[in-house]
Amino acid sequence: MVEAPLDTDVAIETPEHIVFHYRIAGPARRAVGHVLDLIFCYGLVAVLVAIVVLATVGGAIDKGDVIAAAKAGIGIIMVALFAAQWVYFLVWEATLGRSPGKMAVGVRVVTTSGRPIGWRAAALRNLLRAADLLPVGYITGLVSMTLSSKFQRLGDLVAGTMVVAPEQPRAAKALELSPPAEPRELATLPEHVSLDADERVAIELFLRRRQALSVAREAELAEMIASKIGKRIGYTHPSPARLLALVYDRAVNAGRNEAPPSSFRPRAGGTR
Amino acid sequence: MSLASALTEKAFAERRRPDWEALGALGAKAQKGGIKKLEPADVVRVSPLYRSVCADLATAQAARYSAPLVDYLLGLTAAAHGMMYGPHAKRDDEKRKGSMRRAWLVAFPRAVRARKREMLLAAALFFIPFTLGALLTLRDPTFAFRVVPEAMLRPLTEAYSKGFDGGRETGEGALMAGFYVYNNVGIALRCFACGIFLGLGSAFYLVQNGLSIGAVLGYVASQGAGGNIGLFIIGHGSLELGAIVLAGGAGLSIGWSIVAPGDLPRVTSLQRRAREILVIVAGASVMLVMAAAIEGFWSASAAPQAVKLAVGGTLFVLLSAYILFAGRGPEKGEQGEP
Repeated sequence: MVEAPLDTDVAIETPEHIVFHYRIAGPARRAVGHVLDLIFCYGLVAVLVAIVVLATVGGAIDKGDVIAAAKAGIGIIMVALFAAQWVYFLVWEATLGRSPGKMAVGVRVVTTSGRPIGWRAAALRNLLRAADLLPVGYITGLVSMTLSSKFQRLGDLVAGTMVVAPEQPRAAKALELSPPAEPRELATLPEHVSLDADERVAIELFLRRRQALSVAREAELAEMIASKIGKRIGYTHPSPARLLALVYDRAVNAGRNEAPPSSFRPRAGGTR
Repeated sequence: MSLASALTEKAFAERRRPDWEALGALGAKAQKGGIKKLEPADVVRVSPLYRSVCADLATAQAARYSAPLVDYLLGLTAAAHGMMYGPHAKRDDEKRKGSMRRAWLVAFPRAVRARKREMLLAAALFFIPFTLGALLTLRDPTFAFRVVPEAMLRPLTEAYSKGFDGGRETGEGALMAGFYVYNNVGIALRCFACGIFLGLGSAFYLVQNGLSIGAVLGYVASQGAGGNIGLFIIGHGSLELGAIVLAGGAGLSIGWSIVAPGDLPRVTSLQRRAREILVIVAGASVMLVMAAAIEGFWSASAAPQAVKLAVGGTLFVLLSAYILFAGRGPEKGEQGEP
């Protein structure tokens, strides 16, 4: 969005002077992702335990030294537990920028300047996890997130990172007036219609979700703004939703090149 | 607002969509592993495509096209930005500086020496309670029970009084090595992390560990197995205790960077120090893994006393020399050649 970012947005200016906004992921979403990660990670450890137990039992039948094999197996499991605590997040985040749990909830870790993180930042933010989860259940991290403008826990502050929920870029079609306007409808529509930014966004959002609404609900929603705008520009139409569509089309397309005929035609000889 | 020269949104989108989709497809390809995974022919296309989509975004914003279109272009440029300016976009000289070989031969010991004060403080915070714990327990063995549970001390003492003639049972070495990795490296990393609380967390862990290790030593010695535990510790002690001190010192250092940030904002000072100090934490972790292997497979083995003493002593000398002297003097390429 161009104007007035929400307070959970962070603006990043690129070297190309493009400013884009990242939505910061909040504690709830991150907690869900973390729980999924724990399940996945310790699930892997459980699989390893099962393998070790089977191998111990299976191997011991021939050699008859169950205890020695079991002890070595426990040693391996200990190393796996260590990796689950200290290595799991580091490797995922340093290579892909997100752990499986973060993938599942659609968030990723980036630096505060909006770039992907590397090994250093991943290492720091996950080392500091040990401080964030004190005294129990990430209370320290939660306090830090509350005090920080970017929902950063201590690890994020130290590593200069933040967790964002990037929008999936999906192309949306431009709004079109359908069915095409009839001359009768256009006859009384003023040549210039100006809408302020809020009105434009409101009408646009309404027109985009119009298909999903029942007829009565559509009319009810449209009426909230249609009569006001109609009165202001001196235009009436029996259907409030249709009125909004016509007004929007004219306000947005009028005077532009390749405008549809329903809009005010491009000025003669004007601008091409 | 007179926008007579602009295209309608529909016409604009129709004209430019092929480029957007091309960039989107490249972004999806590069999602895993970054730009390195792309074909050379694709890499060449990324930069011009990215720039032209940036221009489209600016156009869309200026022409007040609808929010979904602007959002779409923002998402596209954001993804491409990540692809172009990611950590893999480093220059070659930066890569050389960050190489693994350099980290071990030069960066780690240098970083330790650069934070001499914190390291000495950490050593004091560890070894003074250590000595106190040992001495107090030697004078009155019940002191150890205040620091370490009695139920843990008694079997430990029995184990050491047996000596090492039998060595360890098969499998025991791997078990203990695994446990030491889990426990000791965990302690060291936690000791570092808690330095964020103005260094107090690190100080706490250092004192606590120093005191309890000292008390255990003192207790076992007071029960007449002092020679055995000494022989056990000497193999890996320099690596293990040294690494705990280094990790603690690193923790003190990040704590101090918040207390006394100098001319920088506190957060910036903290971030810079943390990046400098990270190599110490990595080094300490590797030292502890080495110590775990020695402790598991060597320290309790049936090797003769003299060999154990010699190995322990050699390790101590090598380690000290490495920390104190490795990487001194100018680096190749660092001092400007003519």
